[in-house]
Amino acid sequence: MKHKLVAAVGVAAMTAVLAACGDDGSGGGGGGGGEGGGGADSITVWLMDGSAPDAWVQELNAAFEEEHGVEVNVEIQQWDGIQERVTTALSEDGTVDVLEIGNTQTVGYANTGGLADLSDFAGEPWTASMLDSAQVDDTLYAVPWYGANRVVIYDRSVWEEAGAEVPTTRDEWITALEAIDENTEAEPIYLPGQSYYVLGGFLADEGGSFAVEDGDGWAGGLATPEGEAAMDFYAQLQSFSDSPTDNDEAEPQQSTDVVPNQEVASWIGLGWEAAGATAAIEEAGGEADFGYFPIPGKTADELGHVFLGGSNLAISERAGDSELAAEWLRMATSQEWAQRYVDANNGGVVPNRSDVTASPEAGSFAEAMVQPVDFGFLPPLTTGWTNVETEPNPIKELMTRALNGDDYQSAAEEADAEITDRINRE
Amino acid sequence: MTVDIEKAPPPPVPPVRRTVPGGQRPRRRAGLRLPGGWVPYLLIAPAVAALAAVLGYSLVRNVLISFQEFGRRQLISRTTEYTGWDNFRRVLEMDRFWDSVARTFVFTAVNVALIMIIGTLVGLLLRQLGPVMRLVLSLSLVVAWAMPVIAATTVFRWLFDTQFGVANWAMRTLGFEGYEDHNWFDSGISTLTIAGILIIWGSIPFVALNLYAGLTTVSAEVLEAARMDGAGSWRIFWSIIAPIMRPFFLITTFLEIIWVFKAFPQVYALNGGGPNRESETLPVMAYVEGIGQNQYGTGAAISVLTILILLVAMSFYFRLILKQEKEQDA
Amino acid sequence: MNVRKLSLNGVALVLSAIFLFPVYWMFSSSFKENSQVLTKDPVFFFVPTFEHYTTAQNADLFWTYVRNSLVVTIGAVLVALSVALLASYALARMRFRGKRAMVLTVMAAQLAPWEVLVIVVYLNARDLSMLNSIGTLLLVYFVMALPFTIWTLRGFIAAVPRELEESALIDGCTRTQAFRRVIFPLLAPGLMATSLFGFILAWNEYAMVSVINKAPGTDTLPRWLTSFQTAFGSDWGATMAAASMFTIPVLLVFLLFQRRVTGGLAAGAVKG
Repeated sequence: MKHKLVAAVGVAAMTAVLAACGDDGSGGGGGGGGEGGGGADSITVWLMDGSAPDAWVQELNAAFEEEHGVEVNVEIQQWDGIQERVTTALSEDGTVDVLEIGNTQTVGYANTGGLADLSDFAGEPWTASMLDSAQVDDTLYAVPWYGANRVVIYDRSVWEEAGAEVPTTRDEWITALEAIDENTEAEPIYLPGQSYYVLGGFLADEGGSFAVEDGDGWAGGLATPEGEAAMDFYAQLQSFSDSPTDNDEAEPQQSTDVVPNQEVASWIGLGWEAAGATAAIEEAGGEADFGYFPIPGKTADELGHVFLGGSNLAISERAGDSELAAEWLRMATSQEWAQRYVDANNGGVVPNRSDVTASPEAGSFAEAMVQPVDFGFLPPLTTGWTNVETEPNPIKELMTRALNGDDYQSAAEEADAEITDRINRE
Repeated sequence: MTVDIEKAPPPPVPPVRRTVPGGQRPRRRAGLRLPGGWVPYLLIAPAVAALAAVLGYSLVRNVLISFQEFGRRQLISRTTEYTGWDNFRRVLEMDRFWDSVARTFVFTAVNVALIMIIGTLVGLLLRQLGPVMRLVLSLSLVVAWAMPVIAATTVFRWLFDTQFGVANWAMRTLGFEGYEDHNWFDSGISTLTIAGILIIWGSIPFVALNLYAGLTTVSAEVLEAARMDGAGSWRIFWSIIAPIMRPFFLITTFLEIIWVFKAFPQVYALNGGGPNRESETLPVMAYVEGIGQNQYGTGAAISVLTILILLVAMSFYFRLILKQEKEQDA
Repeated sequence: MNVRKLSLNGVALVLSAIFLFPVYWMFSSSFKENSQVLTKDPVFFFVPTFEHYTTAQNADLFWTYVRNSLVVTIGAVLVALSVALLASYALARMRFRGKRAMVLTVMAAQLAPWEVLVIVVYLNARDLSMLNSIGTLLLVYFVMALPFTIWTLRGFIAAVPRELEESALIDGCTRTQAFRRVIFPLLAPGLMATSLFGFILAWNEYAMVSVINKAPGTDTLPRWLTSFQTAFGSDWGATMAAASMFTIPVLLVFLLFQRRVTGGLAAGAVKG
């Protein structure tokens, strides 16, 4: 592991030198021909589907084009097959300049030598909890862009009908679900069998983690008392759900395929999911009346832990024009544009900078989402974490087996072995 | 099996002697005989070049990569790290690999057998039908045949969905117990069964329609005469149809074996090789371990092994077909 | 006899239903409101809507994808047929050293696991600066289809009686003329049959295009087809509309060729 890391850093340094030479060349050409001469006249930015409101992107790019006289091509990428596309794109010269990378994946790409060193950006007031996912050994390889947490979304009318109250502890949560189960026809909570980031939150509540450092490497952390306790609570919640045990929240998509089609009293989801469900219900001629609360903790003093989902922005080491790419990145993540980004999302994202404020409306999703800011968790940020998350995901498989009544300990040991195997690969 | 080959009837088109009676135009004749010369090489040159440049080059590179530690870092920074037999050793030591090999063989054998048997029966049925029903059935077959795999896989995933699946609805409606939210993908066997149904569904039209078309070349008088002699359908099939259609069965089986063995989207898209990787066939495993895990070296090693296994498994077929080649040249 | 006929027809009806159902389900779902697509009890009767077709066809660059797909598919098929025709003629009619090796190569090449070779093909294209090109795709698809095409065409050519060719030669045709006037017309069904294989292959290919062609405007229809299934909820109505639109050209080609094709394939295979 250590050996590989050293090699990786060596390679990264080497490619940095090479890239620098390349820059000198094109810079010289550009100098000779004036501004419009040899330099790039456009940059390419890869954003993920659904990440950026159209209006924000257009206004930002218009401002950038005006300032630099350079066209910005934003190419929206689908999540399906994104890993191969990013990997191959990072190996090509000039295919992509700036790109969005999920925060759990950034460290993995940083170690490949594919991302440019962004130490120049280290001085900005980034939200501290988001920095971990963007740096390797204190060197910045990406900058935070936005965060998003899951909250419990509930149907106000059903809860009222059942006489259930918004819970502040796990016990109250279960009591409320029992009340709904007894007093209404609705499914008390829709919880698919494989929402592993929800499980991760319960695991963090117990003080555990998906994987722990073990000597030079990492080892799976599920075959532990913490793991078992987290899974027990997950199973308790899941027993209120009619969902199969072998699916995740995306298949079928809980917000648009499940919630609008059956009576669901509550579910755990992200901001865009709440919006998607509302839209789907209204399209079908119904009316959505959702309330939101953060996932309750074990006691009223603390909230439940939630996965700090989100994305970072990085620059490709093989960017066509790294200087312009850096300029665009600087602009997009500046206080002004970061604030506009948060506003364009109606405060529904966790801001990337401490000088940006989200001011969500009372009773909104965003209000519930920003509460657990001190109770966030991230999976182990190692190069190999991406491998663990890739399907077939051993954590998901463990969850299904546990929910189907397999012995937790032995299933968890198998999952840990697989996690250990994968997380220590590059 | 070799005995069968010896007994095989001569090819339907008897080899014609290459000397033209009368001995006219000796130069032309010499040209037709063409024992060597450069013309055939010229004719195969474009094909050889294309195969070598695209397939050959890729295969060579694949073999090279199978001896390397080749992951995201090496791909992106364009570095090369040879690690000898490491990838092969790791793959061969995986229980999962051998499970997949066994699973793939069983999966292929069962599906190819079913495709050939049902396909043949449907082909024979087409012969027996009146013109209207024949048209209806063959149109249905063509439509199923034409449905792109991506679309078919999505629809099948739906049909067998736990919550919204038509399959569960149909079982409930027919009065079967236990199909309220029945999960068709809860075990490897069950998942592979659905994948098998999808593959069989998509492959039968090829076999049935071609068999039917081939049967139309079998003269009706021969069959009628056999029937007059009191031969039952079973005997007619085995003693008349089967021998005539033997080359067809030989080649179609060969193709189906390859296609089923290599079937990737049908298996992968249904359940990703799960649950618990219990439905991973070799191509799915190569994808999961290689591309999914960014371990392209390991993936390459698995694919090299897959090719070797297939070559060995099919060598019998190669020999059969080469033998036919010789007979034709004789 | 009548009972027999009736039961045969019954079996044929059931079989037709089985083979048609998934296709029917795809088309019928494409006309349903989104709320009717995934339901606990399937919806069989509904007021059709065409909105999904509008959505599917309004996707960015849709017509570019259509053009790319057509160019790549038709191009790959035509090139494969031409190259294969030459090679298969040599393999079917001529004797030369290395012929057995060539036959063996063509057979073995059909075993190539292209799904797993995606990364290697990509690396080659990258190193030769051939990325983001319709030409590269065409080349790759052509080679993917080539072995099968050579092999099948060889069967068809072998099935053409040599006497026909020889009598043409005797009548004073050159070998090329004999091929053009005698063999080629007889090969028409064979060419159609073989082209279907390449057509489906190139039309459906997804894995290669998604890594080789990443620049906008260089994608093909399969990428468009999957674009309605996003992490943010799948637009199933649009997916099915897209799948239906994607299927129709293949269906047309099949229906158009089917009669001659199936006869042809069988002839090629029987006499191969």
